[in-house]
Amino acid sequence: MPHRRTVLLAGLIPLTVGACGSSSSSPATDSKQLVGAGSTLVAPLLSQWQPEYNKQAGVTVAYSAIGSGGGIAQITARTIDFGASDAPLSEDQSKEANGVVQIPWALAATTVAYNVPGVPTELKLTGPLLAEIFLGKVTTWNDPRIAAANPGVTLPALKIIPVHRSDSSGDTYAFTNYLSHVSPEWKASVGTSTEVAFPGGIGGKGNSGVGGAIASTPGAIGYIAISYVLANKLDFALIANAAGNYPVPDVVSIEAAAKTLKSVPSNNEVSIVDPPASAPNAYPISTFTYALVPLKSPKADTLKAFLKWAITAGQKFGPKLDFAPLPAEILSADETTIARIEN
Amino acid sequence: MTTYSSGTPVAAVRLSSARRTAVDRAGDPILRGLTWLASAVAIVLFVALVYKVCDLAGESFSHYGLSFIGRETWNPNPSTKTYGFGAADFLFGTAVTSFFALLIAAPTSVAIALFLTELAPRRARRPVATLVELLAAIPSVVLGLWGLIVLAPIMSSTIEPALHAVLGWIPLFSGTPSSVGILTGVVILTIMTVPIVSAVMHELFGTVPGELKEAALALGATRWEMVRMVMLPYARSGMVGAVILGLGRALGEAIAVALVVGNADAIHTSLFEPGSTLASHIAAEYQGATTSLQISSLAYLAVILLALSVIANLIARLIARRAPLRLGAGVGGPE
Repeated sequence: MPHRRTVLLAGLIPLTVGACGSSSSSPATDSKQLVGAGSTLVAPLLSQWQPEYNKQAGVTVAYSAIGSGGGIAQITARTIDFGASDAPLSEDQSKEANGVVQIPWALAATTVAYNVPGVPTELKLTGPLLAEIFLGKVTTWNDPRIAAANPGVTLPALKIIPVHRSDSSGDTYAFTNYLSHVSPEWKASVGTSTEVAFPGGIGGKGNSGVGGAIASTPGAIGYIAISYVLANKLDFALIANAAGNYPVPDVVSIEAAAKTLKSVPSNNEVSIVDPPASAPNAYPISTFTYALVPLKSPKADTLKAFLKWAITAGQKFGPKLDFAPLPAEILSADETTIARIEN
Repeated sequence: MTTYSSGTPVAAVRLSSARRTAVDRAGDPILRGLTWLASAVAIVLFVALVYKVCDLAGESFSHYGLSFIGRETWNPNPSTKTYGFGAADFLFGTAVTSFFALLIAAPTSVAIALFLTELAPRRARRPVATLVELLAAIPSVVLGLWGLIVLAPIMSSTIEPALHAVLGWIPLFSGTPSSVGILTGVVILTIMTVPIVSAVMHELFGTVPGELKEAALALGATRWEMVRMVMLPYARSGMVGAVILGLGRALGEAIAVALVVGNADAIHTSLFEPGSTLASHIAAEYQGATTSLQISSLAYLAVILLALSVIANLIARLIARRAPLRLGAGVGGPE
């Protein structure tokens, strides 16, 4: 009998523990330590910041890349000192979080990679075409609309398999935000979020899940962090911007997009996808990622110093991870917001 | 397992009570206390877990009621019109992957178990049995990675095109071969369930009385006839129990499946298309869930999965009670 009971319990416990396993340690009261959690997109940058800031300021920054949603939930519950999210807080979230402000602290881009045997890299695509592909309306690679954008390229009669992130992601936010800007139908039916209901295709977990699916599936196309595409030598598409150019996604073209920013609203929610035609070399799918900070924090001074460092000196660690430096408008808006944090 | 044992230690009988120290005398109550405590913790933990998951699912339950089970939408974007949640896609994915995995795993396991009990040379039995059981020791995330990196490309380049060429007229094998998808998930689940099911069946066949087998052979039965007319009927109910035990594992597997199943919230007839299971969907989405209704709906999926696992385990136990051996000895449940 004992055996059977063990089998029963052993079968159930891991399942359910896994389902609700979000840790909730309370923030350490030691002001030499900051605890943060959230976005996976910004995690590589934070792991550069952690040892460097510890060396310079003697402050340990602990960060768990549990996903933007987890970061929002934990900062709302005040179990951490700062959260990180790739999407700005929604109205409801902002209300619920009660006194949490968002600070754009890193600028990243999402690229579109594909796997079409016989087709070279840097295939040209337009935004509306990309929306049609992900809506499942353009279904084969030799579709006349893809051919029209790529004269001289021989396209195979291969089925297009769109690949998306199955987990919540800043890349999904940037990509769906872009498609919502260029396609009214996308905006109405799918919309913008870190996680949406894609009309079809394959879902992969994390950049590596999407990258793996693209690499192993002929006909696949998917959006994926720029650093992953470069590191794994995937073929990537050039996306037309509003000026009709096809800029290569890199720190320069991301910065060009960020420079189109004219003003920052009081809640610091900024979007730079599909920048205006006045910026001829701007990359169209860039996004800001945010730190979420309570205005009243028991560790206000430590927190303020760290944020200040992150948006200034910390930015120089960005480019080699394909994060572009923050534009001046964002910097000054951030500084104003950081100054409001108090004990 | 030791936590459930109780009773008088056998060795103690021979000790004369006069020579016992105080520590020895305290041994019995301490042992009893510790074993009680351990058992109580396990039970309390189980009840608390079930309560917490159900509690978390409350919002979704009061929002959708039981219609959640049949709803096909899973749209986590609150700013769209179709925002809402339902379990149908994932129930379908779980049913299809588990069914086909067991459809392949059950006969394979019977074959392995028969080979080990009847056909393998005596010296080869132990090592082969150990190796098969070792398959169960591979961490599921490792198997999932292997599935994504090694198996998936083979599925899309070789296995699925071959199936499509021969059986393409069956809707199950229509469509375009794809690296990740339901069928790749099925293969991974098969690999995970075979060691469990075959280990139980191996033990089961070992319990068939030698006299019966010898009697059949003495009456002139061939080995095949002996297997068909003596062993299989003798072990039948236990075999069903073993398969259901495998089902328990297949239902609950999350990580390995999430890596290879394609994670699409959709219902397709073709096995080449991507899908999602209850467990893989919870694993993929829980971390990033933003609205409380989404978190609650994921918990609702967990409640459904919990119920299915409990039912599968109860059925396996019920069958095992009538079977000639204790099912599950030395075999774990879902990871």
